[in-house]
Amino acid sequence: MTTFEEKWTAWLDDQLSGRELSEFEASLPDKAAAQAEKAEAKKLGELLKRELTAHPLKNEEFFGHQLRERIVRDSRDQHRERARRSATSTWWTIPRLLWTGTASLAVFLICTVLVIRQERPAEESQYLTQILNARVDPVVSPNASVSIFEVKQDHATVLWTEGLQSLPADYAAK
Amino acid sequence: MQTEATLAQSDVSELDLVKRCQAGDTEAFDELVTRYRTRVFGMIYNMVHSEQDAWDLAQESFLKAWKSIGRFRGQSSFYTWIYRIVMNVTIDWLRKKQVKGGGAEFDDAIQLREIDPASKTVPKTEALPHQAMERDEIRVRIEKAIGQLSPEHRAVILMKEIDEMQYHEIAEALGCSIGTVMSRLFYARKKLQSLLRDVYDNV
Repeated sequence: MTTFEEKWTAWLDDQLSGRELSEFEASLPDKAAAQAEKAEAKKLGELLKRELTAHPLKNEEFFGHQLRERIVRDSRDQHRERARRSATSTWWTIPRLLWTGTASLAVFLICTVLVIRQERPAEESQYLTQILNARVDPVVSPNASVSIFEVKQDHATVLWTEGLQSLPADYAAK
Repeated sequence: MQTEATLAQSDVSELDLVKRCQAGDTEAFDELVTRYRTRVFGMIYNMVHSEQDAWDLAQESFLKAWKSIGRFRGQSSFYTWIYRIVMNVTIDWLRKKQVKGGGAEFDDAIQLREIDPASKTVPKTEALPHQAMERDEIRVRIEKAIGQLSPEHRAVILMKEIDEMQYHEIAEALGCSIGTVMSRLFYARKKLQSLLRDVYDNV
């Protein structure tokens, strides 16, 4: 307790004891006046208790009944509100969107990995490499060009070269 | 006042009732309402001095208690917990009423200026023919005096003097410190003493 008000209140309510009590009473400038005020405070307390305590709740049963009705009505309203919200709310709530996005990304990544693993490119043809080497070597074939195209009906891939000075001796392209 | 044994007994069954309420049992809540409705109503009535308003505020308080019973953790007694709701509802209502009414009813700022511990109010001279009328008169005087306190001061003095609650219980119910409770009690008593001195001196 620090303030005078707190100590005074505790003293009025007989909550001080021992050293605290004697110290507080010693600090009072007029102990007789303080005791008179304490007696007044007690009288005030008695008056309030006597006059204000017994204010009956009339129709107690109706009070309980009305409250029960309100609780039932309130919970019914809450259920209705919840149902209305779930009916009108969009299915694509933010958490659902997040989950769906994450799942879609995961499926996409798995498919990509599988496709890449299945369609690993064949080893590069040594023959083609030689041609390409020839093309890029400006000394051997300065104006060489190489085209590759697929002929679907024949199930064949055509390697079309132009401007080569010479073809490599090894025709067995892998 | 309750003895420790009955307090412990009622606390146990009260906790049981609270747990049932938390599981959605309205009958258990009805039992709690039956236990406290008179005290709650009486406390609110003494704060607002109107039966109809006290009835409505008590209903509102219990309805709020039902809605938030799931948050009751049993750290304080149910009684203190429900009192906190009651006080919040009532003080809010009084504050709103003050705003609507232009703030004429009570004013914390002028409270201390109005207190003169040495002042004696002249006792009423007219003789009332019946004792009942005299009591009514006294009651009206008390209600008027309490009406001049701020809602917080009203709550503190009523909880202390009428409900005989301890400082820490009042502090819990009002969500403030024990020091604040004691300080509010000091000023509330001073003001009521200055307003009701002639009443308690002559009764």
